[in-house]
Amino acid sequence: MRLTLARHPVTDIRFETATRLEGTSLFVDVEELRRNILEDDSLRNVDFETVCPGENCRAAPVFDIIEPRAKEAGGSQDFPGILGSPVTAGMGTTHLLAGAAVTVLGERAAGGSGGAIGRVLEMSGPAAGGSPYSSLNHLIVIPHARSGIPNHAVQKAYRVAGLKASVYLARAALSQRPASIETFDPVGPTEKGHEGLPRVAYVGQIFSRQRKPEVDEQILYGANTDGMLPVLLHPDEWLDGALVPSYYSSLGGAETYFYQNHPVITELYWRHHARELNFVGTVATIAGSDNEDRDRNCRAAASLVKWVLNAEAAVLTKYGGGVPHADMAETARLLEGMGVRTAVMVSDMSRDRRVESALLFNFPEVNAIVYCGGNGTRWNAPQVERVITGSPEAGEALAGLREIGAYNVAGVANQQGASRLRAVVY
Amino acid sequence: MRVVHYLNQFFGGVGGEERAGMRLEEREGAAGPGRLLEQLLGGNAKIVKTLVCGDNYAVEHQDEVIASVLKKVQEAKAELFIAGPCFEAGRYGMISGALCSAVQSELAIPVVTAMAGENPGADLYREALYIIDSGPSSAKMRDVLVKMAELAKKLVAREEIGLPGEEGYLRRGLIRDEFVEQTAAKRLVDMVMAKVTGGPFESEMVPTSFEPIPMPPAVKDLSKARVMLITDGGLVPKGNPDRIEGSAATRWGAYSIEGLDDLKGDDYEISHGGYDPRFVQEDPDRLVPLDAMREMEREGKIGKLHNEFLSTSGLANPLSNTRRIGREMAEKVKKEGIDAVILTST
Amino acid sequence: MVQITSALPIAKMVGSNRVVLGHGIVHVAGDASLSFQEEKELRRNLVLDALKALQSAEKE
Repeated sequence: MRLTLARHPVTDIRFETATRLEGTSLFVDVEELRRNILEDDSLRNVDFETVCPGENCRAAPVFDIIEPRAKEAGGSQDFPGILGSPVTAGMGTTHLLAGAAVTVLGERAAGGSGGAIGRVLEMSGPAAGGSPYSSLNHLIVIPHARSGIPNHAVQKAYRVAGLKASVYLARAALSQRPASIETFDPVGPTEKGHEGLPRVAYVGQIFSRQRKPEVDEQILYGANTDGMLPVLLHPDEWLDGALVPSYYSSLGGAETYFYQNHPVITELYWRHHARELNFVGTVATIAGSDNEDRDRNCRAAASLVKWVLNAEAAVLTKYGGGVPHADMAETARLLEGMGVRTAVMVSDMSRDRRVESALLFNFPEVNAIVYCGGNGTRWNAPQVERVITGSPEAGEALAGLREIGAYNVAGVANQQGASRLRAVVY
Repeated sequence: MRVVHYLNQFFGGVGGEERAGMRLEEREGAAGPGRLLEQLLGGNAKIVKTLVCGDNYAVEHQDEVIASVLKKVQEAKAELFIAGPCFEAGRYGMISGALCSAVQSELAIPVVTAMAGENPGADLYREALYIIDSGPSSAKMRDVLVKMAELAKKLVAREEIGLPGEEGYLRRGLIRDEFVEQTAAKRLVDMVMAKVTGGPFESEMVPTSFEPIPMPPAVKDLSKARVMLITDGGLVPKGNPDRIEGSAATRWGAYSIEGLDDLKGDDYEISHGGYDPRFVQEDPDRLVPLDAMREMEREGKIGKLHNEFLSTSGLANPLSNTRRIGREMAEKVKKEGIDAVILTST
Repeated sequence: MVQITSALPIAKMVGSNRVVLGHGIVHVAGDASLSFQEEKELRRNLVLDALKALQSAEKE
């Protein structure tokens, strides 16, 4: 399995009569895209907007952000398990529009820790500098669900609409010459050529059982993860559409964009290529629903890392708040006990910004901790020229915005590793 | 820049332990280590007053000394207040910390002090103040004064203060956010590589250690013991009369179970946002096991069940609240002559 | 003092000396899936465990 990415830079997106990529300008026939998306009869309509990098604009509530990507024939499918059959992702060539994104807005904030406005795409102003999304060209997709449809069906419709838009846009690039092509090195527990280098694995949580997933919530190859045990995945599966975030992510959040551009996996690939380490593989895991579930999952994940990947070191990330935090620490503790050195990425859980209140674990061996911030950072949210929202209610919630917290700005405190906001202890 | 400096009897040049009882005195200009400090502060900095007090007197009359110092600092129109450096001297460290803390909060002017990490004053005040780590030995006086002066200048100029290692102060145990060059992913892989190759690395967070609690001795004779029930599951009488908050609770209550054998769901509600309350609402004994405890009482397994249970909410509650609530509950436990407590936690 | 809780890692971390494992976060001293009698029995046993811990000199 060797994934190839063909990159096509995009510097502007415009609505026009025929969808095509000309140089770095993407022209989009929104009528055709609309027809495509409205094949889903859960939706009564869908609106589109375009947003430029740094534009004096904000959009909310963000449901997901996806990089436009489309598979060349002969390889894996686009978003297998959701748009296509659930066959292995990561094979063949994927064309992507670099510098572009599809941002789906919900009609209502998801609730949970995001509050009334949920996550905001902040394109300019003091908060924007902290997010990688403010420097992209966005096609904003605003699906409108039919009334009377249960919430989980609405969310599924949003999900499919965004992914369809992503594939539709990137298909314009299939006939064009890419600006660059990158083929990932072959990696895995039995690969040759990196003997003697530290064998490193990645353990990433993809869901937290603090809530039950919806029966049709599609997360891993379209499955909702309910009842699953940790599973081995090839890194390219994360990068090539096997995974999307669940409907609710708390604290810094996660977007499809950073599964496709997974910061930890990309970094490990880079270091593997530079012959600093041997990237032996990944485990996708879930935070448990109770102590027993935690014990079961943590041990299963640790066993896969030690006995199948034969790793000497592992890096771990979490998905969500306190329970995922504890599960990640427990997995790391077990790994250390098996001789695998670990480093974990935590978010600031203190409420009073005091170190004493901050950690929910205290294992001396789990002593390599990257500390992501966001808990105490707020910015002024200046009036902007353009506000794009999913519904009038969302618009009202956004109108009174004077200040915005780091957890509400998409991309700033990202839990997938893209965040540059560090919580510093002093 | 007008500066007021506080010294103890020894550094103020009055005498040793035998003068530790001296009252607060005022001197014009700099004295003792203040002279060098004034030079190091540079520019137009002038120590306009030096306040000297005996360590014993200060500790025994702390409130009076604080009030006095506040008045004098205000009269002197000081823009900076410095106390110490105290090195290992415990009483000196305590009063310096107390004075700096009071000046900071009452007069809102920058304050700096210095003492060794083990000084009891450090424990109490490190979170509230910037305390330069002086180490125990006064042989390092010059170095310490240099660091104090540098930090003081930054505070007065309202410049950003760097990390403890950079500026030389005792880690305060606080958290702030900063944008850095490298993504969390890069920092994560860097750290594990250092760890697995045996290289040095600095964790961005050090696990906090809770001090071990000495284990209280076992109850000798439970059949004679007075037992109290406490919960952090937020069970309160309907209407939540004490308005205990569901999250980050600052309050707790004591609720009568006199004459009751059983808790009825109709009489109670749950103020705690962190768990599904349905089961406890249906039957509060599932959280506060009154019915089982009454059986124990009847069967003579315990002497007496106290006629109240204590309750608060443990959800997302910072230690700054829970430490206090725990202390207050412990006082009540002692006051009521309780021999043993059963705490039920969600 | 003895603490009845399901969140053992947290109790261990803060240094709670006598800890008895509770029966789940949402009903630490009960179980909604049991019959009334079974539940009372469960609660009684839990409380007996707690009393035992109070009389024990060993860290649990």
